[in-house]
Amino acid sequence: METIFGIETEYGIFVDGRDPSDLVNEAIHVVQSYPRPAASPWDYRGEDPRRDMRGFRVGHLTHNPDDARYDRPAERPMSMQEERSDRILVNGARLYNDHGHPEYSTPECSALRQLVAHDKAGERIIFDCARRRSASPESAAVTIYKNNSDYHGMSYGCHESYLLPRSVPFEAILAGMLPFFVTRQIYTGAGKVGAEVRPSPIPIFQLSQRGDFFSVETSVDTLHQRPIVNTRDEPHADARLFRRLHVICGDANLSEYATALKVGTTAVCLELLKRDWKPPVTLENPVAAIQNLSRDQSWQWLVNLEGGKTVRATDVQRLYLEAAEKQLGGDADEDTAWVLKEWAVVLQALEHDPLELADRIDWVAKRTLLEQFLKEEGLDWGDEMAQSLDLEYHNIDPDQGLFYGLEQMGAMRRLVTDEEIERAVNHAPDTTRAWVRGEVIRRFPEAVRTASWNKITLEQQGQITILDLNPLAAGLDPELRERLDAIQSLTEWVRLIGALRPDA
Amino acid sequence: MIVRIEDRLRRPAPADPMRKPGGDGDDGPSSPKVNRPNPNDLLKRMKRVDPDQARRYRQRSGE
Repeated sequence: METIFGIETEYGIFVDGRDPSDLVNEAIHVVQSYPRPAASPWDYRGEDPRRDMRGFRVGHLTHNPDDARYDRPAERPMSMQEERSDRILVNGARLYNDHGHPEYSTPECSALRQLVAHDKAGERIIFDCARRRSASPESAAVTIYKNNSDYHGMSYGCHESYLLPRSVPFEAILAGMLPFFVTRQIYTGAGKVGAEVRPSPIPIFQLSQRGDFFSVETSVDTLHQRPIVNTRDEPHADARLFRRLHVICGDANLSEYATALKVGTTAVCLELLKRDWKPPVTLENPVAAIQNLSRDQSWQWLVNLEGGKTVRATDVQRLYLEAAEKQLGGDADEDTAWVLKEWAVVLQALEHDPLELADRIDWVAKRTLLEQFLKEEGLDWGDEMAQSLDLEYHNIDPDQGLFYGLEQMGAMRRLVTDEEIERAVNHAPDTTRAWVRGEVIRRFPEAVRTASWNKITLEQQGQITILDLNPLAAGLDPELRERLDAIQSLTEWVRLIGALRPDA
Repeated sequence: MIVRIEDRLRRPAPADPMRKPGGDGDDGPSSPKVNRPNPNDLLKRMKRVDPDQARRYRQRSGE
């Protein structure tokens, strides 16, 4: 698959004795506990989250009115840069506070194992920051969760980004991806005990942490009245050539396999759209479907199509899989071949015995573990312990978290090794522009004034230079990387990269 | 079908085509050698969970 992708995760944070009004400051402290050299601040110039792919710009983004009650006047007003506390790391990633959540954005990746390693590297980095903060005399214990719901009406995201040619029309993205996004939760969902947006009269276990929180089909908003297809038009690349699909409807996955399948199937579907394929189905009510599928306790996972027919979510997914097998299966690269094989295996299992997937799909792993425990303890899904166990599944402390307990037992499939993750903590992918970002910060830290996804502002002997990374948006040529790697002079780096054409 | 934690341990880990086999350096890294904890350790870990934790867990709205 020829695309660039990345994952940005807002982590949940709990600090003993602190309430939600304290979480912005607590997240800042966690981020500022990052111990290694990093660049700062982030260059927000040119970023515009209010620009919409449909060709307009909204006047403002919608905020969650229930969240506003936790705002507290700051003792000392902070600038946005202070509040965000951005760190740009030597592995090309971005670490910052996003409104009370430590957030880790992976560097740009071009392969699934690479992305999984970097997503996991983010867990390691955030956990290390939290551990250091916990050890400081002025802090209480800090616990970090990689999840998307606080069981009290608040949700936070795990977003995926996919680079696409600008030539793919928005209308094709919407029609093409809406049925896929609604139904993929049957294997991408991280599971959730209970429901609070539309409380259920009986205890339920949902497929998805996020399903309840989507109330519109499309919108540029992300904080409130969330859309299944986010229309933010912020490519972080040459907007004449590229768009970036910003996907907000997914769950944060702990399973490496689930992360790879989530991103891999999505990338494969986008590859179909690039080839002008259209799915032969339209859902009657995508918003109702994304919520109802998540809540379906029968596991029939039925969706209504326009025209009156009712089909299974697996049937919708099979339409995409079969098209992908036909159009991409012939000369599939390693990632595509893996996706096509595992997608088929998973759909088959979901249709016959979903519990077979307890070693790879987060909602199944969690449900299986919790159900066994509840039964042995004489509890049921309505007991408060069930939700606390759900939460603990997502605790990223390897000595406490239940997912990590399963993984340490060998009960979860792995795609990457701990060595690969450790390497990702300190090194950017060498196939994307993240390598340039990370290595400039590593090799020439004193020259970096600001950085962002597509540019680095440098100062040398009083001279300001902007290193434009847009020509590298679609990937880093190995020959260029070797030439840069051999050069000791930042001036030469600037000259070489500056000579690149916009469509390099 | 409820899968007991102990039963899951007995299933061999399947070969994953995405993971390159060990061998020469170009084939990719091999699996880490880990001491497999006793499944009872996971049960103990679950029993240590504070039943109140989810009730106390409140977050700011994110994206």
